[in-house]
Amino acid sequence: MAYSELHAHSAYSFLDGASMPDELVAAAAEHGYRSLALTDHNSLSGSMEFAQAARAQGLRAIHGAEVDLANGRHIVLLVRDARGWSNLCRLLTLAHAHDRDVPSGTPPPTAVSLEQVREHADGLVCLTGCATRGVHDETTIRRLRDTFGPEALRVELQRPFLRDDRMRNRRLQRLAGRLGLACVATGNVHAHAASRAELQDALVAVRHHLTLEASEPLRRGNHSHVLASPAAMAQRFSDRPEAVAETARLADELCFDLGQDLGYRYPGAEDQTAMGRLAELCHTRLSERYPGPSPLASQAQTRLEQELRVIDHLGLGGFFLLHHDLLVLAREVALEVRGPDSARALLPPGRGRGSSVSSIVCYLTGLSHIDPIANDLLLGRFLNEELTALPDIDLDFPRDIREVLIPRIHERYGRERSALVAAFPTYRSRGAIRELGQALGLPPGDIERVARGADDFGVDVRRDIETALGADPAGPVAASLSDGAAPRPGRSRRWQWLVTLAAQARGLPRHLSQHPGGMIVSTRPLIECCPVIPAAMEGRQIAQWDKDSCSDAGFLKIDVLGLGMLSAVERCVETIAHTRRERIDLSRIPFDDPATFSAIQQADTVGVFQIESRAQMQSLRRTRPESLDDITVQVAIVRPGPIQGGAINPYIQRRQRLRENPDYPIPYPHPSLEPVLRDTLGTIIFQDQVLEVAQAFAGFSPGEAESLRRAMSRRRSAAAIERHRQRFEEGAQQHSGVDGPRAQEVWRMIEGFAGFGFPKAHSAAFGLLAYQSTWLRVHYGPEFLAALLNEQPMGFYPPDSLLHEASRRGLALGRVDVNASELECSVQSDPAAPDGLRVRIGLGYIGGIRRQEVEALVDARREGGPFVSTADLASRSGMSRPGLERLAWSGACDALPGGRSGVNGARRAAVWELGVAGAGAPGGSPGARSTQLSLGLDVPSAPALRELDRWERLVADYASTGVTVDDHALTILRPHLPGVLRASELEHHPHGMPVSVAGIAVARQRPATARGVVFLLIEDETGTVNIVVGPELYERERRLVRAEPLLVVSGRLERPAAGGGTISVLAQTLRAVALPTRSSAQVHELAQRSPDVEAQASDLRAVAPPAQSFAAGRRR
Amino acid sequence: MVRTDRRGQPLMVRGQAIEAVRESWLVQDRWWTEHPLSRRYWELVSIAGADLVVFHDLHGGGWFIQR
Repeated sequence: MAYSELHAHSAYSFLDGASMPDELVAAAAEHGYRSLALTDHNSLSGSMEFAQAARAQGLRAIHGAEVDLANGRHIVLLVRDARGWSNLCRLLTLAHAHDRDVPSGTPPPTAVSLEQVREHADGLVCLTGCATRGVHDETTIRRLRDTFGPEALRVELQRPFLRDDRMRNRRLQRLAGRLGLACVATGNVHAHAASRAELQDALVAVRHHLTLEASEPLRRGNHSHVLASPAAMAQRFSDRPEAVAETARLADELCFDLGQDLGYRYPGAEDQTAMGRLAELCHTRLSERYPGPSPLASQAQTRLEQELRVIDHLGLGGFFLLHHDLLVLAREVALEVRGPDSARALLPPGRGRGSSVSSIVCYLTGLSHIDPIANDLLLGRFLNEELTALPDIDLDFPRDIREVLIPRIHERYGRERSALVAAFPTYRSRGAIRELGQALGLPPGDIERVARGADDFGVDVRRDIETALGADPAGPVAASLSDGAAPRPGRSRRWQWLVTLAAQARGLPRHLSQHPGGMIVSTRPLIECCPVIPAAMEGRQIAQWDKDSCSDAGFLKIDVLGLGMLSAVERCVETIAHTRRERIDLSRIPFDDPATFSAIQQADTVGVFQIESRAQMQSLRRTRPESLDDITVQVAIVRPGPIQGGAINPYIQRRQRLRENPDYPIPYPHPSLEPVLRDTLGTIIFQDQVLEVAQAFAGFSPGEAESLRRAMSRRRSAAAIERHRQRFEEGAQQHSGVDGPRAQEVWRMIEGFAGFGFPKAHSAAFGLLAYQSTWLRVHYGPEFLAALLNEQPMGFYPPDSLLHEASRRGLALGRVDVNASELECSVQSDPAAPDGLRVRIGLGYIGGIRRQEVEALVDARREGGPFVSTADLASRSGMSRPGLERLAWSGACDALPGGRSGVNGARRAAVWELGVAGAGAPGGSPGARSTQLSLGLDVPSAPALRELDRWERLVADYASTGVTVDDHALTILRPHLPGVLRASELEHHPHGMPVSVAGIAVARQRPATARGVVFLLIEDETGTVNIVVGPELYERERRLVRAEPLLVVSGRLERPAAGGGTISVLAQTLRAVALPTRSSAQVHELAQRSPDVEAQASDLRAVAPPAQSFAAGRRR
Repeated sequence: MVRTDRRGQPLMVRGQAIEAVRESWLVQDRWWTEHPLSRRYWELVSIAGADLVVFHDLHGGGWFIQR
């Protein structure tokens, strides 16, 4: 009997579905279904993915959603036609409208009223919902019948194998008969196969923050919610064959195809005057940008005409004008945010990135800051006549401008017509281990150990458990590890399930989040094309589709990205104006500054944009960039494409040869490639060179070349790549007259590159910022450091490491101080400092104190002068007792005059005194506000307290601020590390020598291109050392590598002659540094007063600043 | 104790013929423990009019009378 499943959930029901849409589609096709409905819970997030997968499998996709009603019941709404789709989108938008209304702490449930359903019923078919939470009362079903009519309402029968199935279905069938409604059978599917049924159970537990045991009443009780075959469903409903037959009849009526035109148009898409206006704008700017007759002006004129022709051909005039309008809006916002008199006012509101930087139209309309003619940037990758999708224009903004700009875009285009693009964070190893481990009731400590040691991108959770717990998770040893006592058999099965469930959960979307910057604007209300929901950040809203779904729907995505380094350089410029009364226009700084290039060539680049990483530094010493063009290449070089394509070593070697012999002839695989690969010395480093090589060498058209690039980069279809290879090799033989082996050699260069690289235009844009940030660092070190510290998180190095490095460079640093620090880090005049300037850590760096409290303290100091004692501080600052204790423990009160201040005992004394002075709310929770003393009453002197030693102060610094500006941990530990070399000593030892080094882990990287090798960067009191950990050692010592903050590494010194001074240690053994033991009655006394103090008194492992991890991704 | 048809539906329980099946349900739980539960329950009416609840242990096999 024909059966169509009309009620199925995917993982896009977020923790209420255990399969992806394509898995459901594949299973349905295998079972012989002709159609399938996806009805995720209050969501259409998976609908486009479902439509695409179904089309590929020849299955008819039916779209719908399970929707919550205000009375707590569920209905299923299925889309009959385009009107129904827009109504469902509107309804779901309404359902989520109050998701972020949290005046009372709990938002109202996501739901729509029956009245709202009635207003949007057109084009929809309603099913009465599931067995447990569907609409089963006659009154409501009558209202639904009045709304949808009997032809568009079905009473839904389910057989979830619960105890009341027959009674419920009999009752519903009688009710349907009375109301003249047809019944329809559904499976309420939550998994595509029986193997995922347990995961569905576990996800329910995760959703409710419960264990599996505790979530029993909320789970389904059995595994009948798995997609069954039509025959099995007919069997399940053998007593109600008409309800089964009705599924197929109804499915045939639901003809809406999501592939059809949804009516989306971006503003200006159909504006007939757009092209003329764009051309006029560009021509006006052309004469400003390229004044007078010159070869450059002539080239620019030709290029502009060429681009305008392509834009006209593609009908994209409105597209560019829309982006230009956005930039005008950004300019207004920037003026507001920066203020008219700010030094930042000289800077443009944002900058272009990506391939659009190659466009002269973008340059002239302000969408790019890079001159494509002077920089020899080719257009093809961004815009060509064969383009079938909308091109991408990405814009970077300082974070503060972007924050205001996004809601302003909503206002400009209308809240119904604009939204951010969604992103769906997916389960990776660590999250899956933590959440599923909790659901399984595993010991929290063990879960955390396993999670911390896990490779987040890895797939072998069994191995993670073995590594963390030291044994086979299925074995009795692992079972006993949790308790350190006798084996407990009950545990081992749970660990086994964790292995299975974590592997299954991997890649499933967990929740809906916000894309880093993608925005959609529309002429038609967007909420009729896709549901739009409020974002966590006030004033923002998100479409339920991610960038791929938006792209498949033909939506124009505008990328409004936040770039931390842009914010940092703007802050820096502003601070320089204050500290030195100099106004800096970064577009007019010298771009051939010897001091800046000297720093770059010596890899003295910690903290600057792009060229600061461990790998970049190693490369810089060998490539020794001498111009902005060289930096453009440098920015692109440490990318998977050039690495896998084998471009790096040839490029570096050829640069070195050229330095030695300027007449060195660069080898090219074929003369036709010389113009294409000249800038990169015969290697492929830029993404667009793939296109250019294909065109110059194999005669590809621009569209064919772009198709090749896409095949390689986006969805690596083996069949598509093979077609391109054949075409390339044949083309090379015909076009360039080469033989097969030579054609294959060039193909291998392209194939190795595989598209994962920067376009040259993007590199030029980023290279410029890399240079500008280096220039600021070289000439305005204190201001640049303060800017970096205030824009965290960003970059490769944690703040603590930035401070240590700055200290080694001779910059003067100041610790947090209630009488000197501002909220943020600041640059202060200090005649004693080398530059006359000192970077002062801001009070905002102290964890656990609310920003408002710190602001109030700073205001009180401004109004009433410096605090003269702890009692004065407690009285005037308005800070709660926990806040005061944190201030004291961070050392911010060390320099308070009077009493015992100024000596090492000051910190303990201040904690004691402030505990007394701020005693209004004893034991108050962090953030709790106590009643303050209104008068600066004297507080009793602290009893004789033992001084904090250097190590204790270090631990207290890390525990309170995450940074220290005093002793480096290794300075203190050095006497305990006999035979261990300092980083600065390594350059005096020969290549290949066995050495031992120690340091605090600053960064860990495990690049996919490195075949299991892990790169560690450790830091001691003299500098950083690169540690190379081979795959075997990594597997053996994974916990140390991944989680240990202080390491001793023994291995072989790598200092090859060709390395340009690059030094690393190839690790052979690793061990944790033995930390000084801490025990003191007075410490325990303090510990009793505040849990945080207890943490501070424990060892460094608990408080060490986390190393930057490759798996965590880098923020720019 | 329980005789079933080919699809597993009870026909006789303790020698009593079954007149009707009132309900059948499934319990699959505690799969993460050492004692997973997988039972198919049947609420039956015997030919003598008695209301019986039996279950088939789908893991360990065997039939059990609940009521």
